[in-house]
Amino acid sequence: MIELREVTRRFEVGDETVFGLHEISLTVPQGEYVSVSGPSGSGKSTLLNVLGLLDRPDAGEYLLAGEATRRLGEERRAALRRQHVGFVFQAYHLIPRMTARENIELPMVLGGMAPAERRRRSDLALERLGLSERATHLPRQLSGGQRQRVAIGRAIVLEPALLLADEPTGNLDSEASAEVTALLESLNANGITLLVVTHDPDTARRAHRRLRMLDGRIVQDQAGPARES
Amino acid sequence: MSRMRAADSLYWIYRSLVASPLRTALTSLGIAIGIAAVALLTSIGEGARVYMLGTFTQFGTHIVAVTPGKTETMGLSGLLSTVKPLTLEDAFALRRLPFVTAMAPVVQGTGRIESPTRARDANIIGASHETALAWRMRVMRGKFLPADDPQAPRAYAVLGSKLHSELFPSGGALGSHLRVGGMRFRVIGVLESKGQFLGFDLDDMIYIPARRALQLFNREGLMEIDVVFSAKTTSEHMSSLVRERLRKRHGREDFTLFTQEDMLATLDRVLTIMKVAIGALGTISLLVGGVGVLTIMTTSLQERVSEIGLMRAIGCTRVQLALLFLGEAVALAVIGGVAGLLLVYAGLIVLALAVPGLPVLLQPVYALLALLLSVLVGLVAGTVPALRASALDPIEALHAD
Amino acid sequence: MRAWDVLTFTITVLSRQRFRALMLLLAIGVGVCSVIALTALGEGARGYVLEQFSFLGTDTLVILPGRQETTGGMPPLTGAATRDITLADAEAIRDFVPGVRRVAPIVLGAAEIRYQSRARETIVMGTTADFLRIRQLQRATGSNLPDADFDQAQPFAVVGGKVQRELFGGRSAVGHWLRIGNRRFRVIGVLSGRGDSFGLDLSDAVLVPVASAQQLFNRHGMFRVLVGVHPGRNRQAAQRQIEQLMQSRHQGERDVTIVSPDAILAGFSQIMGSLTVLVASIAAISLLVAGIMTMNIMLISVRSRTEEIGLLMALGASPGQVRMLFLIEAGSMAAAGACAGVVAGFILVAVGRALYPEVPFQVPVRVVLAGVGTAVMTALFFAWIPARQAAALPPVTALLKGH
Repeated sequence: MIELREVTRRFEVGDETVFGLHEISLTVPQGEYVSVSGPSGSGKSTLLNVLGLLDRPDAGEYLLAGEATRRLGEERRAALRRQHVGFVFQAYHLIPRMTARENIELPMVLGGMAPAERRRRSDLALERLGLSERATHLPRQLSGGQRQRVAIGRAIVLEPALLLADEPTGNLDSEASAEVTALLESLNANGITLLVVTHDPDTARRAHRRLRMLDGRIVQDQAGPARES
Repeated sequence: MSRMRAADSLYWIYRSLVASPLRTALTSLGIAIGIAAVALLTSIGEGARVYMLGTFTQFGTHIVAVTPGKTETMGLSGLLSTVKPLTLEDAFALRRLPFVTAMAPVVQGTGRIESPTRARDANIIGASHETALAWRMRVMRGKFLPADDPQAPRAYAVLGSKLHSELFPSGGALGSHLRVGGMRFRVIGVLESKGQFLGFDLDDMIYIPARRALQLFNREGLMEIDVVFSAKTTSEHMSSLVRERLRKRHGREDFTLFTQEDMLATLDRVLTIMKVAIGALGTISLLVGGVGVLTIMTTSLQERVSEIGLMRAIGCTRVQLALLFLGEAVALAVIGGVAGLLLVYAGLIVLALAVPGLPVLLQPVYALLALLLSVLVGLVAGTVPALRASALDPIEALHAD
Repeated sequence: MRAWDVLTFTITVLSRQRFRALMLLLAIGVGVCSVIALTALGEGARGYVLEQFSFLGTDTLVILPGRQETTGGMPPLTGAATRDITLADAEAIRDFVPGVRRVAPIVLGAAEIRYQSRARETIVMGTTADFLRIRQLQRATGSNLPDADFDQAQPFAVVGGKVQRELFGGRSAVGHWLRIGNRRFRVIGVLSGRGDSFGLDLSDAVLVPVASAQQLFNRHGMFRVLVGVHPGRNRQAAQRQIEQLMQSRHQGERDVTIVSPDAILAGFSQIMGSLTVLVASIAAISLLVAGIMTMNIMLISVRSRTEEIGLLMALGASPGQVRMLFLIEAGSMAAAGACAGVVAGFILVAVGRALYPEVPFQVPVRVVLAGVGTAVMTALFFAWIPARQAAALPPVTALLKGH
């Protein structure tokens, strides 16, 4: 699904160069559940942005679903993003003036899908998320957990192969947190490749494969069930 | 599947605009006032132009006017004395040219006109029997001057409607005698009202045979000869015929020709420039309204940075984003344009009630142009915010809050 | 709050929202600038036209033959009437009307004038020496027409500058004989300047004694008679007396028209003034648009600064102070924009003056004050609602809404 080949991303901060990513090579097969953790500034967000085609590496190559992406134009990258990648953010990023359903339908609207088909898919998503009752609510009328579920619904409605989640539970209490995590994992169980960036060790431990980053490098890559501690 | 459906784009824009209704209303109101100013002023200018052209075309367009003297002294040439005047004989020589359908010699002056009971100082026009035809005047009662021997015409007179009512308030003009500057004339006709022309009241006039007017004013020369020609030839050709004939008679070119066509073209040009200038006054307001759209779009862009980041993350292309913002700006301007046109129609109705008879009219073409203008304003004012929106770095935008 | 603190607070706020503040400045500036520029244009046009006719002076009357009773019409400009104004009439006006200083009877015609092989069709004006004095025309060289009796037909001519150029090349025309029609005249003087007026270009004209022109054109009656009244004398009285004199000389008939140019010019000046006001007012509509924009921006400003307003209130600011802060913000932006507009307007006026030095562009102080005043008052008027809205925010909500 994902293949990074010696990918480097530099930033100029003042007069020194900081490596967001430093010659990282990484392969994530379809259906894997990966967590990325590390201290602030270790490069996890940069990794997420590069994987989501929001950012472009300075060197190396990134293959998404077999297509080399580094030299693609913005329009093509946007199309790939729409087709293959779903994003979930800590701050939900719902459009405040739109209802839950409209937020979920947004990627399909951008893709030019016919209204009837959109309606069918958003119905399905709402039902799956247990939000059918809340379809016409505005984001400010929803709880934090419900908002994040709407955001997840929006991320998966086009059935992407890759779901990138950036601190998806960072703004939630423990109950809502557990709910959202369970939802993400059930999606993974149905075949989606899930990559979660998190600060929280408990959340990180739940993944099948756990990456730790420091100064733009992957310093630890553990697979298999995590040791209980 | 990469282009948004038009309906979805419009809906998106609609939702963005209604999200802050007061802001949208105020921004559009600015454009509305600008568009209303442009449309109203332009239609006033157009009304004035049509009115002025109408005043001039009432005499017809197939006229060549000959004035004595070669110097081009705006408007004065007919009034100057000349060594070699344009004579009545010249006028009748021109009448015999091909294509000529009517000829009106012009001698004009003022004098005292006395009816048996009343007197009035008014304009006296020396005319031919074809003057009514040439100037498209209609006889209300009696008839116009007859086709007498031009050298010895009978002392007949035709009255303008106003002069008629001043001199004969109780009627009975036809057949009665008048004294004009000491000469006796018999009234044989009264004209229909023709109104004002360039400060001359065409109804407060008396028409007498040109030969007698020349005697009355003790002049040899005509002030002007109007030659009316048939539509079978052009102004240029007619002018050249007139020029040739007169040159032969005078031995040289000591006269000046004006064609009604040229004059109308010049007049139309001047009036159109004036109309545009008047309309341009309104564009100042429109310009300010456009600055308003630019400001509001930029502000709303700043408020929606994180939203833009999200849009990019879920696969919205730069072009789509730019188009959405541009569309929003155009929508603001067009709402303003429509509101402005409504304002104009309201204004025109009020104006029509207040000043009846004012020829102010907003033609559909101008309404459409005004709408196009508002679209243009929206496009111009929306371009910079739209480009800025599409140029935002999605990663930074996402973390903007 | 002290004035200085209010000022620094406002400046901080404005510099934080630089773009919006700049745009508002631009909008108000465009409005004020166009009001000023258009007023200058109107005043310039008025001044220019008045200057063109300034030669007529304030002590001049024009007598035209003929009279018409049509109300509101033009005076009888053709000069043709059933009864002429004669040279004897002009002489009588000069000799018997008290207060009359100069009389210039005029016979106007066009004729071909010839010098050696060159010929030119020009205007020939028969008049007297007083014509140059009434019209305040200067001579480049030579002398005026002789101060002779009106009926003396002397073969003297004063030519315009253009006539000298066209007929005599670069050389002085004075002393040479030229032919007008079939008569010979000796050039005794050359006019300087353009002398453009009433569509009559005197630089392309020849002046001869009035009696000579009568013979030349075989015209008995005068085209016009110019009368110069003694400065300080009552012009209306002179006008009445001339009317009476002419009436008594014409068997009791009132058959001349007397026009006082400065009365016409005063009317014209008034019309031009009204037009200028109208045009400037149309431009001032843009200030209304700018005012609406001010309201819009202030509303946004209040909304995005809810938290700040709450904080101010928590720190002890009264609603009145909050309202004042917002009003001052709007007022100072308007004032700054108006000042920028004034500067831009004066730059435009200066450019206009440089391009057309002959047009007296000027901006009356009251227009500047009115422009700036309107801009600021409009802004304050439209900022009132947002300012009141800000002041009415309950401190708690204001603080909470920030989170």
